[in-house]
This record gives sequence, C-alpha cells and structure tokens, in this order.
Amino acid sequence: MNLRHYVTTNMAAPMSSVDKTPAECLQLNSTSFQKKTRSKFISIPGTRPSVQNGQLLVSSGVTSLDYLLGGGLAVGTVLLIEEDRYDSFSRMIFKYFLAEGVVCRHELFVAAAQDDPDDILQELPAPILDDVAIHRPGDQPRMSCEPQDTLDAMKIAWRYQNLPKVQSALASSSRFGHYYDVSKIMEPEIRQAAKWHRFYHPEHPPPSSGTHSPKLESYSALLKSLQEVIQREGFDLNAPLPKSRNILRVGLHSLGSALWGDDLCCHDNPKNVHALTSFLYGLRALLRSSLSVAVVTVPSHLIQDRALMGSITRLCDNAIALESFKGSERETNPLYKDYHGLLHVRQVPRLNCLASQLPDHKDLAFKLKRKQFTIERLHLPPDLSETVSRVGKGEPAAAACASATSSAKHLDF
Amino acid sequence: MLSELLQGTDIGGFLLIQDSCTYCGRDLLKSFIEAALNREEVIHVVGFDVSEGELKDGLKSSVFQRLHFHNAFADPLGWTDNSPFTVHQFSSSGLTELLNQTAQSKPATLVIDSLSWILRHVSPTAVCHTLQQLKKGGAVRTIIGLLHEDMHSRGIVGSVCRLATSVITVAPRTKADEGLAKITRRSKSGKVVQDEQIFSIRKDLTVTVLSKPTNFGRKQSNTEEQVDPTANLTFNLRLTDAEREAKEKLALPFVFSTEKKTALLHSGPGSGKILYEPDANDDYDQEDPDDDLDV
Repeated sequence: MNLRHYVTTNMAAPMSSVDKTPAECLQLNSTSFQKKTRSKFISIPGTRPSVQNGQLLVSSGVTSLDYLLGGGLAVGTVLLIEEDRYDSFSRMIFKYFLAEGVVCRHELFVAAAQDDPDDILQELPAPILDDVAIHRPGDQPRMSCEPQDTLDAMKIAWRYQNLPKVQSALASSSRFGHYYDVSKIMEPEIRQAAKWHRFYHPEHPPPSSGTHSPKLESYSALLKSLQEVIQREGFDLNAPLPKSRNILRVGLHSLGSALWGDDLCCHDNPKNVHALTSFLYGLRALLRSSLSVAVVTVPSHLIQDRALMGSITRLCDNAIALESFKGSERETNPLYKDYHGLLHVRQVPRLNCLASQLPDHKDLAFKLKRKQFTIERLHLPPDLSETVSRVGKGEPAAAACASATSSAKHLDF
Repeated sequence: MLSELLQGTDIGGFLLIQDSCTYCGRDLLKSFIEAALNREEVIHVVGFDVSEGELKDGLKSSVFQRLHFHNAFADPLGWTDNSPFTVHQFSSSGLTELLNQTAQSKPATLVIDSLSWILRHVSPTAVCHTLQQLKKGGAVRTIIGLLHEDMHSRGIVGSVCRLATSVITVAPRTKADEGLAKITRRSKSGKVVQDEQIFSIRKDLTVTVLSKPTNFGRKQSNTEEQVDPTANLTFNLRLTDAEREAKEKLALPFVFSTEKKTALLHSGPGSGKILYEPDANDDYDQEDPDDDLDV
C-alpha cells in the first residue's frame, strides 16, 4: 500500500495556499519564514516520510529504536516486542509508545488483560518539554514582569530570557521523536487532552457458546472492538476520509499470556495453537487498510515451542526481543556492567521494496537512563592484561553467544 | 527483605513461595501464617496438600478463632456427595462467597496450600484468571500461595510467577536447619529488586535471617573506585574558596547593567522577524528537488 502522497514537512507550519500575504500567515511562530509547499494534502502531525522508501513513519517513542528500525515505525505495520523476564523494559517501551502518541496528538487504543488500561495510561512518563506545546489557557509568553528573578536566571544567555519556553498556541510539536523523563509522571492535563479507547479483557466476558473455532473469544472480541473503533473514528482508508486525519496507535499488552485465556505459555502442546497466529493475521490485515500502527508485546520466554514463536514473528512486521540481565548469571559479567540488557532485532520488514534495511550491528545492548532509553552497540573493551591468549580471554564474548559457561578455560595452543 | 515480607505490608499483593522436593516450603508458609495471626489478621487457609491438624501443628492455639481452615484435603475432587471444599470451587466467585460466609470487618488474607494441586486439576488459564480477579477484588487483602516448581513445566510456573508481586524460591543449604531464599519483589512502578538470604525457622515458627550467602556479595566487592581527575597532576586544577569567590565576582565581557539589559530585552515587537515577499525574479519551481529531502 502506497502512502507516499501523505507527505509532511518538518519545517515551520505548512501553508495551504501561496497567495496569502505573509502578514496573514504570521502565527505565533518564532520565525516568519514559510516554505513553499506544493502538496495540497494536509499533513498528519507526528509523522514523516521515510528517507529510504517513502513510507509514512511514526516515532516509536524511543529515538534509538527509531534509528534501528529504519527511521521509525511505518504506518500500517505491527511491532512485536518479546518481553524480558519481569516485563519491566518491554512495559517501558510500551509506555513510551503511548506517551509519544499523546504528545503527537494521535489517538490511542490500549488493550490489556492484566492491568487496567487506565492504570497504564496514568503511568506514562513525562515528556521533556522544550518545544512541545501544551495548551494552557490564559498563559502569556513570559515577559519579565519580575525583572530581578528572570534576569538573574540566565547570567550569560540573558538575551534569550524572554523567549517563551512553551508556545502558548495550540500547535503540535514539529519534532519527530521526543525524550521522556522516566522519574516523572505525565501531567494529567496533557494526558486528558488525548483521545483514547480501551479494551480491558475482564470487562468482556466470553459468550458461553460452545463453538470450537481456531480463534479464541478474547482475541476475536479484541479484533472486533478494534475494527469498530477504526471504522467509527475514520481511520479506515477504504471509507472516505475526514478532512483532518490522524493516526491510531494500538498498544496490545502481553498477548498470549494466560490472562488472555490463551494456553500458549502454559502447555508445550497448546490446544489453541492457532488462536494468536490467526489474531495477528487479522490484525495485520486491519492495520494495512487503515492509518494505524500497532505495538504488541508477547511473553516469549514462556512459550516453549520455538516454531510457534517463529510463526508469530513472521506474522508481525518488525520484531525485537529484550533480554534483561536481572536475575541471570550475566548480571555479574563485567562486560555487561553498563547496560541493563541485550536487544535482539529479530525481523525488519520489506515494505514496498526489495530489500530491507538491516541494522549494521547485531550485538546491541540497551540501558534505561532517566531521560533516555539508549540502545548501543555492544563491544568488547580492549584487553590490556599481560597474559592475553586468543581463546581464553574471549570468554565474555563466548558467553554472549551461548548461555552455558564453558568449563575449559584458558585453552592455550 | 524476608523480614519486610513477613511484616506483610503490601496490600493487594500476591506472595508466592516456590519450593521443590529438596526443601519443603511449608514451614516458611506456616511462619507467614503465624506472623499474620500475630498481626490480628483474619486468615483463610485452603488446604489441599496436608490435613488441618498437620497444618495447625506448631501454630499457637490461642489465635485459632481467626484462622479458618477450609478442608480440601479430605475430598478435593468431590467423589463423595458432601465434600467440604472441592477443587472446582476454586474460582473467584466461589472463594468470595466462602470468604463472605464468615462475617468479618476487614479483608482477609488467603493462604493457598498448595497451588500445585489446583494446577493439576484445573486449567492454568482459569487459575491465573482467578488469582488476578482475587488480587483486584476487595474481598482479599493478600494472597499467599505455595507452589512446587518441580511439578510443573516452566511455562506454567512462569505464568503464575508473572502474577505474583513477590516470589520467594527456597532451596536447601548444607546445614539441615538452614534454607536459602531467593526473593524477587516487583514494585508497582515495575522496578524489580532481587535478594538472596539465608534463613532458619525456629520451633515457634519465627524466622531468623542469617547472613547473606558469600557468593552473592561478590558483585558488590567489584565496585570501581572513582578516579579523581584532579589528582596526580603536575598543575593545580582545584579551587580554594577564595579563588572561587573571585571567579564568581569576575565581570563577564557582555554582561550589561540591569537597565541596559531590560532596554535591550524590551526592544519592541517584531524586531526579530523577517518579512519576505517573493518578487518577480524568484522562480516558482514546482518540481523543487529539495522537497524530497528530509533533514
């Protein structure tokens, strides 16, 4: 599906026609320069076209993850996150994704079986607000009514004091990808400005019909609810689109876990083998024909059947796996002391092109800092000890490939 | 951390004790019951594994009116017609009804001995569903469950552990009366804390926490010393207090007086704006190649 014509510009507010006088176009921007644009289409805030293949991209909330996935998440695709053991970091990325949706004014659809979606939304991290506009009624750009305080605030850069830190106009941020402060919670005003839909599995009791179908009732109820939201709110590309378009961000937490009624994690030969896979197939079909993006987390460490995990990965477009060091023997490995876990990119999609853009490095590690979730290349530090033997000292690297520690240390030939 | 858990401060939590055939976790379970009884809490025990007498052995008999034992040991599968508690009654509606039968002022603590028995006869998804509903509902204050991890596959154990707010895995030590407890606590914000402690349980079911096992402390001894970059130099990079004061007092070159600053700051509206009107010489190139750039 070609979304190429939804070109958006990253610069100052796009003009809809060129014959307006510049004076009329002067909004409360910091610059009055306006770029001529030939596109008559209204751009969707928070998106940009990919430099590789022109797909419309959306930020995942984590800028390093955007870089890994080729610029961002393409609209109409599914990102699969294989959860780490205690679901701490995958939940964090899930919250980043939703928080980015709130900041970019996208609509959200949150589905969960364990926690109430209201609780998940209340835990979103606060964006670091240098240039994000919040609509605060009655807020003036800060003129120095208290000269002493404001002049003392900046000793060297005092000329910039009166520039408003926060734009008081209701304009969405033109930046792609934001940073979040994990230690703070997003303010209720920002959160309540966002429109969102919820699906909490315990609220949808299964109808007690005895029909044995490959789909589980929980998943089919979820798919129906999502389809209804897409059609009602105008995200469907087949229907005539409303004037102002928006993106729907779909977050599905812990699909396949026992709380969804699925026994994929519990049994080696689950009864409902095809329930999750047929749901993912239906989900991807739904997303391809609408302006939405989905992030799905799956507790893959509980799924014993690797073939099943492989087919789940194939059915999603992007797939990453998080492996946290907590509780494993790698926690004490000095190679990993700066990081919180390893990140594996399992799959990158080929959307409307022949070859996908794979990340350059396969050994990636992540670290959750207060203001950033960084994903870096894992590299061995230079070995400066005296007895350097090629095989023996490479043990930390060998541990990266195999989890069993080798008993034959220091093989010297 | 074991002592904090024994004090039972988290409400709405699910504490899971995992044991194996090498070390029985029932003594630790009984210590938790004892500690809760001493705190004047109402306890409901659903006992599948052992009989009432065996479970109550060792507990102080003065507090038995707050301990309600539901005998699921006698006839758990309902083979006779009048069974006190069957395994199929283990659902959130069944348990809430059971808890409401005994009139109480505050929510009770539910102790399940053991979850393994239930998991063998009821599907794991139903058990997880029940536990989740009990956690969310108001009838139960905390749930303490015993699980024999060697009886189930990794997937089932993992699924139940996901629901737990704290997991204590007990293992034997070389001394017979000591045990090793690996504790994992998940807080509300998603932070996971792990700890390992050696404990021993006395005759009166109080738990004494002994020292940490030595190989756990190895991680802490590897902390690097912070290298002070201003040390060991041939020149002096540090500042004395007097020097710091002088540095602050130094007048910077473009720092103006307050009046001049305010005059410059309030220099009138629109001074930084660029007004541009395209004139005849500008070409309106529709096919501007720069439009495709995303910088």
